[in-house]
Amino acid sequence: MTELLTLGFLQRSLMAAVLTGGVCAAIGVFVVLRGLAFIGAGTAHAAFAGVALAYLLGGPPMPFAIAFGLGTAWIIGLLEERGRMKLDVSIGIFYTATMALAILFIGLMKTYNAEVYGYLFGSILSVTADELKLTAGLATVVVGLLTLFSKEFFFLAFDQEMAEASGVPARRFFFLLLTLVALTIVVSLKTVGAILVFALLLIPAATAYQLTFSLHRMMAYSVAIGVLVSIAGVMLSFQFDLPTGPAIVLLATGVFFLAVALSPKRAPKPALS
Amino acid sequence: MSHPRPAHTHPHHADHEHGKPLIRFDHASFWYPQGPALENITLEIADGEFVGVIGPNGSGKTTMLRAILGLLPPTTGSLQIFDCACQNLRCHHRARIGYLPQKRAVDPHFPIIVREAVLMGRSGAIGLWKRPGKADFAIVRHALEDVGMEDYEDHPLGALSGGQQQRVFIARALAQHPQILLLDEPTTGIDTTTQHNVLDLIQRLHKELHLTIVLVSHEINLIAPLAERLALLKTRLYALGSAKQVLTREILAQVYGPQILTTDTGHVIVADHHHA
Repeated sequence: MTELLTLGFLQRSLMAAVLTGGVCAAIGVFVVLRGLAFIGAGTAHAAFAGVALAYLLGGPPMPFAIAFGLGTAWIIGLLEERGRMKLDVSIGIFYTATMALAILFIGLMKTYNAEVYGYLFGSILSVTADELKLTAGLATVVVGLLTLFSKEFFFLAFDQEMAEASGVPARRFFFLLLTLVALTIVVSLKTVGAILVFALLLIPAATAYQLTFSLHRMMAYSVAIGVLVSIAGVMLSFQFDLPTGPAIVLLATGVFFLAVALSPKRAPKPALS
Repeated sequence: MSHPRPAHTHPHHADHEHGKPLIRFDHASFWYPQGPALENITLEIADGEFVGVIGPNGSGKTTMLRAILGLLPPTTGSLQIFDCACQNLRCHHRARIGYLPQKRAVDPHFPIIVREAVLMGRSGAIGLWKRPGKADFAIVRHALEDVGMEDYEDHPLGALSGGQQQRVFIARALAQHPQILLLDEPTTGIDTTTQHNVLDLIQRLHKELHLTIVLVSHEINLIAPLAERLALLKTRLYALGSAKQVLTREILAQVYGPQILTTDTGHVIVADHHHA
């Protein structure tokens, strides 16, 4: 096992797993607490459409993925904010429309391009040094902003009315959260793919939610779970020749059900006197 | 439609036994898309004063608090808070206004402990780019001591009783070190004994910390003995003055209708049990 860790591609894969698992789990806490889970799904498919367009036009995939992901997240946010449409309806429309765009772009390509499918299903074992640098850069931005504004994000997640009354600019932070979700998804496309990134955003945070009554502990547990299942998933997939994305997600799902079984929240507690 | 106000009610100006006016409504009206919530309100509330706001459901009581918080600018007229137009309130102004919103059910599984909930009250004072320090945690502990909840710092908020949660939310408002404390129906949804405990606590805080208090309630009989002045609302300000001046059968009948009763002991009974 120690010898395996000297392999360059495996080192890069493990680094990518730590970054992706950690950043998804961190922002996932606010996604779960604010009930924004399906924005992750809609944004991931939009980012994939961006990647498909980049390959069709021969451009770099990441900027296209960022543009499509951010654009979709912001439009969904605007529709929600103005009360024009319920969140699940607008996400449903963008989810299917952007997936249709992705299929259209792939259909317009003259040759079969396996790399595009790498972004759909994830291909962490083929992460290059340049991709790893980009992932690390985006992850640093996301984690930095989350750390800087964690008290505002926690306040808004718990009590938006009070947060606004205290002078927290709720609208700006809502759009900042959507932006960070979109960036996180782009960071994770290569690792777990557009279909499974949603799970990595959701499951570690939902697992941590089961295990603690404290906001700060929820964040710590979520990041720890996200990083550990990502590392374990990469190692399992390498050892047993399994696809990496599904290995990470199924492992995380197993841990989630274990947490549900052991959750201190399962037994209803009598009110304290 | 005219709204006669008996001559013996107090004028709209702030009580001169207290400090300078902190809140000034000047012919202010507040409209929602569906119609007026408050119309032509002229009212001054002085530094250190305790004003109770009463009125039937939908009379604009909560709107008045939202306006003072700077969340709702006047459609016409003006509202000044700390000598600043309410629509221009900055973070440092808002940090001086503590707010206890109407009690809502706290999700018992939401992962938050008492200390974390109270620390949120420091958000405005700490500012956007900074993180809480030791001094903020000390203020949180002090606020919990003020409301008698210091032994529950590490308890999950969702596991506390309704009355204890109200105390924690009052501590959150106190952690701001506010000059003005706005309370929206602080006794709703808690048992009678706890109601009295919470009101005793509010009165003690008013006296000891010299807080300016605006308390909204439909429980007329509970707040009448505490408030120095009562404001009776039904979209318009019908009456303003001491409990004795405002709680007369004549004035109350204009707002609540003829089903109002006043007993010899000064208790008010409204046929609609929501306003008893």
